[in-house]
Amino acid sequence: MNGELLAFLILSGAAILGGILMINLKKVVHMLLSVVLTFVSLAGIYILLSAEFVAVVQILIYSGAITIILAFGIMLTNHKAQEERSSNRLRAILVGVGVIIFFFTTYAGIKNLYFGTGADSLHIDNTQKIGESIFSHYVIPFELVSIVLLVALMGAVVLTRQREEDDE
Amino acid sequence: MEWVSGLLASEPSSSNFFTYIFISLPLLSVVLGFVTYAILAERKVLGYIQLRYGPNRTGGKFGLLQTVADVLKLLIKEDTRPKQADRPLFWLAPIIAFVPSFMVLSAIPFTESVVFANFGVGLLYFIAVSGLTTIGILTAGWASNNKYALMGGMRSAAQMISYEIPLLMSLVGVVLFSGSMNLIEIVEQQQYVPYILVQPIGFIIFVIAATAELNRIPFDLPEAESELIAGYHVEYSGFRFAFFMLAEYVYLFAMSALITVLFLGGWQPIPGLGFIPDFVWFAIKFSIVVYMFMWIRATWPRLRADQLMEFGWKILLPAAMANIFLSAIVKELFF
Repeated sequence: MNGELLAFLILSGAAILGGILMINLKKVVHMLLSVVLTFVSLAGIYILLSAEFVAVVQILIYSGAITIILAFGIMLTNHKAQEERSSNRLRAILVGVGVIIFFFTTYAGIKNLYFGTGADSLHIDNTQKIGESIFSHYVIPFELVSIVLLVALMGAVVLTRQREEDDE
Repeated sequence: MEWVSGLLASEPSSSNFFTYIFISLPLLSVVLGFVTYAILAERKVLGYIQLRYGPNRTGGKFGLLQTVADVLKLLIKEDTRPKQADRPLFWLAPIIAFVPSFMVLSAIPFTESVVFANFGVGLLYFIAVSGLTTIGILTAGWASNNKYALMGGMRSAAQMISYEIPLLMSLVGVVLFSGSMNLIEIVEQQQYVPYILVQPIGFIIFVIAATAELNRIPFDLPEAESELIAGYHVEYSGFRFAFFMLAEYVYLFAMSALITVLFLGGWQPIPGLGFIPDFVWFAIKFSIVVYMFMWIRATWPRLRADQLMEFGWKILLPAAMANIFLSAIVKELFF
């Protein structure tokens, strides 16, 4: 057992724990924090895979910005802080069976998958390589994504504008 | 360096574990010593600027043991918890706020040989991880179940979102000129000319945004004593409160070190004065930055919440954008 495996076990365990807590906790703010746990552990797994840039951006965007926006959404809207759940045994059994079937089909699907030998020079100039391929090979998809984001931004502005006029 | 890489690849064992602890303990003690005397220095500087003496009783004429006595008082104080507080989160919040403040220190190169992590994206790592503290502050505000605490936490989150963007944008200029996000390479690029001369606008924007990220006057709205009593940590006492204060001053340390590395050339000497050892250079530049933060705190009034938001979005962000364009043009024409 080497350090990498140990780190992977801890991080993936924390990520799964975060997901399970997210579903099972009752208070919304507790759920928010368990999502943060999942995001941070995923960033750790990216670092193990030599993807430093993706890991840092994961923390910056997901754990930083998106969590704060979620927190604002929770705290500024009307909601019950605690969620009541009705348990339905039949539904629980059906979902359980579905999960098991899904696990075995996925496992059968990826059991013999071969990724080739692991690349061992990924960590050298990681960010530079990402930049080069985005701005040369993938430049058109990149620009398209930026247009989609711009349209979404403008849509948000239009929606808030209309509400302001309604108020008047 | 090779010895450490060898350790990283070897099997995990207890000797391995203790080696790492002994490597990082000196940094921990340096930072704790800095925090102790930064608090005293801040009170002294504030005192002299406001024509008072500041602490002058405990530990001799200069109050050298004042902070030690304060911390001792905090540690033996009763640890109170509001009855209506959210128990697990109230317990967790100081930890979430404090841990990232020490994590960011690993990315900062202090001298050519004292480097903890040679990290390709060290600059982004610092900004990203320091953002995690806001979650701790927000959690503290929510878990206290107190109106003032919640408002302080929300203000802190709003402030962080608005000022993190100009903070990152003002760094794009530095990254353009150095061609790297590795903090060690950025320092090596400044061998002759520090970036404060190449990037004056970026430097000013960065210092303003950094003051806001540190929640210091004139941007200390999350704590604002006169309107929010003390903001997010109003319900905390004893060592949990001490953790919040410690996180705040460790960030002062980290941010000043980052400004030294990015804009003042880190450990690089002024040409011709190379006989002075590099850690002395780092310490001198670092102390100037810390003093500047104290000076700003002593001489500025607090902004109003709406002025804060307008300043962030309408002045700092466009200025940072313009700085990127300007830097790109200058780099294309003259370098």
